Amino acid sequence: MNIVVLIKMVPDTESRLEIIDGKVKEDGFKYMVNPYDEFAVEQAVQFKEAVGGKVTLVSLFSDNTSIDTDLRKMMAIGADETIVLRQQEYSGNKPSSNARILSETVKELNADLIMCGVQGIDYYQAATGPMIAHFLGVPHVSGVTNLELSGDKLIASRQIEGGLQIVETPTPVLITCQKDMTKVRFPALKDIMMSKRKPFDNREVGSEPGNDVQTTECSLPPARGGGVILEGEGPEEKVDKLIEKLKMEAKVL
Amino acid sequence: MNPFHDYYGIEWYLILLAWSAIALGSHFYQVGFVVRLIRLGKDDDRFNSWKQRLTEFLRDWLGQRKVVQDKVAGYAHALIFWGFLLLISDIVDLGTGGLLQAFLSNIQLDGIWNLIVDLGYAMATVGILIALYRRIIIRPAQLKGASIEGPLILLAILGIVLTAFIVEAGNMIGEETKYNTWEPIGVLFAKQMDGMDHATIASMVDISYWIHMILIGGFLIEIPQTKHSHIIGTIPNVMFQDHNPMGTMIPLQTNENNEAVKTDDLDFDNLTLGVNKFADFTWRQLSDGWACTECARCQDVCPAYKSGKTLNPMQIVLDIKDYGREHSSLLLAGDEPKESIVDRFTPDAIWACTTCYACVEACPVHIEHVPKLTDARRHLVMEAADFPEELQNLFNNLERNSNPWGFGAHTRADWAEGLDLKIGEPAEYLFFVGCAGSFDDRNKKVSRATAKLLKEAGVDFSILGEMETCNGDPARRAGNEFLFQMLAETNVDNLNSVGTLKIITACPHCFHTIGKEYEKYGGKYEVYHHSQILNKLRQEKKLKIRDFEDKVTFHDPCYLGRIGGETEAPRGALGGDLIEMERHGTNSFCCGAGGARIWMEEDADKRVNEIRAKEASKTGADCVAVGCPFCMTMMSDGLKSIGDDKPVKDISEIMLENLEAKT
Repeated sequence: MNIVVLIKMVPDTESRLEIIDGKVKEDGFKYMVNPYDEFAVEQAVQFKEAVGGKVTLVSLFSDNTSIDTDLRKMMAIGADETIVLRQQEYSGNKPSSNARILSETVKELNADLIMCGVQGIDYYQAATGPMIAHFLGVPHVSGVTNLELSGDKLIASRQIEGGLQIVETPTPVLITCQKDMTKVRFPALKDIMMSKRKPFDNREVGSEPGNDVQTTECSLPPARGGGVILEGEGPEEKVDKLIEKLKMEAKVL
Repeated sequence: MNPFHDYYGIEWYLILLAWSAIALGSHFYQVGFVVRLIRLGKDDDRFNSWKQRLTEFLRDWLGQRKVVQDKVAGYAHALIFWGFLLLISDIVDLGTGGLLQAFLSNIQLDGIWNLIVDLGYAMATVGILIALYRRIIIRPAQLKGASIEGPLILLAILGIVLTAFIVEAGNMIGEETKYNTWEPIGVLFAKQMDGMDHATIASMVDISYWIHMILIGGFLIEIPQTKHSHIIGTIPNVMFQDHNPMGTMIPLQTNENNEAVKTDDLDFDNLTLGVNKFADFTWRQLSDGWACTECARCQDVCPAYKSGKTLNPMQIVLDIKDYGREHSSLLLAGDEPKESIVDRFTPDAIWACTTCYACVEACPVHIEHVPKLTDARRHLVMEAADFPEELQNLFNNLERNSNPWGFGAHTRADWAEGLDLKIGEPAEYLFFVGCAGSFDDRNKKVSRATAKLLKEAGVDFSILGEMETCNGDPARRAGNEFLFQMLAETNVDNLNSVGTLKIITACPHCFHTIGKEYEKYGGKYEVYHHSQILNKLRQEKKLKIRDFEDKVTFHDPCYLGRIGGETEAPRGALGGDLIEMERHGTNSFCCGAGGARIWMEEDADKRVNEIRAKEASKTGADCVAVGCPFCMTMMSDGLKSIGDDKPVKDISEIMLENLEAKT
């Protein structure tokens, strides 16, 4: 089975996040593999282990940040090779344009199965995957929580509000993976080291116009106020003060 | 009267020769077999510093230094041991029909020699009787479940001793009885026997002699098979004891200068990651199995064992011996048994260790328990990728944000807000804050207290700020040596770029790792625990601090006290009269956090910190002082869960509270 897994590099959730003039300041970011995409890699490798084939990782990212270590780790899990499309003016917030670029590369790879995370944890658009399916002219199943091979068909489960939907799809198909689809393995050191010998291809790409919207402003959620510790002699006085505050300030009593 | 005559027409020495051939043959065959097993192990060059080794050997082996730390069993053992050293030459004399005695009598030394041997027999008798009394009458808790082998062997060697006295005594009785006053105990026996009819005495002597010889031969055959292998096994064990500072670990790969090979240059094709096979251990780790006396002291001090976990450090050592014996034919043929070392130890036991080194400290014969477990962890993490799930978070967090909790690395210096500290600049000292002191709310207060005291005393220091990363100890003790090394290399690069060589830290794990381990990774620094610097400042009156008034007890952190060897500075820095817990100083009991245990699940009914919290609570102190951020967490939680609300404070916090205002 020839599987392509799309990887999005997203800012580490613990990166310093600053917004200046309504724009996210990106130059201090550290990047990591989008966690939803990790499920896709693990599931793809499991299929490969079961029926043979090849897993190729494809990522679109800016041209000046090294992501080798992160992607090698994905290869240590069991993917066979990586193609990184380097784009000068890359932004994670252009699903349409990005899907166009990615679908060209994916098309060349003749995949039976294309997998990616249900959404990127940077802009939560959940759009790129389905758009790629559209450009390739293949069906897609989104937000899959369980995926099984059944002959040359795939059985996918989708957790939807209040129930479970099970769908059957022929290949080729694009699947977007929901959280906890499978448990991502921790690669052994030997595998991490061996992954250095696997093909890693950086390709320069230009940009494609897409029907993407413009961000006009970003803002951080309002900072939470600090708590107040009530001082007083003994619990009784403290409780009195608390009641007064609940009445007068919070006005909940 | 002597037993040296023919028996049913066969000369006594022919009988003895035949028996000796069997006994010695069997003995040496078996010893050779064990030696071949041990030689399967990897090299570990400890054949150096001979003068130091000889001194240690005389002190620890001949002097029984650690053995006698257990007063009853220890001195009983020492008496038997010294007694046998004194009497051993008598075996030659009895085996040659008195040739040694005759030779010594020519040079006038027979009297002294008789006395020495007699004294030896007497000492052994006393020792054996104490040991038997302990095993049969007292029966201390750690002997519950001990095999019957112990008392049986004691009775056998008691037989060896008593029969020797009878033979000695028989020698004095004859046509004309002549007491040999050089053999006072022999004389006592002779006086009892004198007057019996000579035929009876003759058969008593004959029977005693042969029982004596049968027991000695039997003992020789038994030695290599049981815990009595320690009689031989302790010799290389004590002689080749570890000369590295306690707690230090071996890098993945070293070059000819014994420095670690950089992570980028590691030769992975020729690298065994950790231990899962018998032959993955070094010879010295294997020899431990045959040096173990099953005294169970390691078991008694082990926090994992005492809290009811699967691990028993003594069993780990015995596992090595048993595994080697059971799979010997496969192992010696170079084949691999189906059962691995990890299977034998069991993963639960491997992950239960807090790497507190109490077992190593307690062992009288220099067995190294902890490296066996951390080597097995290396295999489980780096080779098999099979380890407790919680550790995956730990490793990911350390990789990504270089701290165990995964807080954003850019917030590392936030604790210092408003203190106006130098960051990343050269200064006389560098304050290496550590992850807990940087990110954990409770321990940030300790960092602030320490920084305030240092400023108060006018110490010129800076911090690394965002350049600092975890020292790597949690990853390392959890088996992820590679991750440790990456963190160590980053820290060494950053520390060397700042150029400050004197480092202060409030974390004993940073203290140990940066001070004792980083040298192999290119970083040679003078590292101080904050209590050492604060104590010095206090003694030099650069900090004016009142003695505390509360009742305070101090919990020694393993990596500062036992492993770091520093038990005085924290006490000096605190000042005042401490109420000591029963186990303190180098015998302190672990809080349960070490060995990356703090990041692993612990069953609610098997918590190490509650055991220690109870000990602290029992002192009746109002406050528990600690000198380690992880002890801080563990002791606070432990006290809370046993329902004791006494506060836990770091040394620096207590000092700051008692700081006299500037005059």
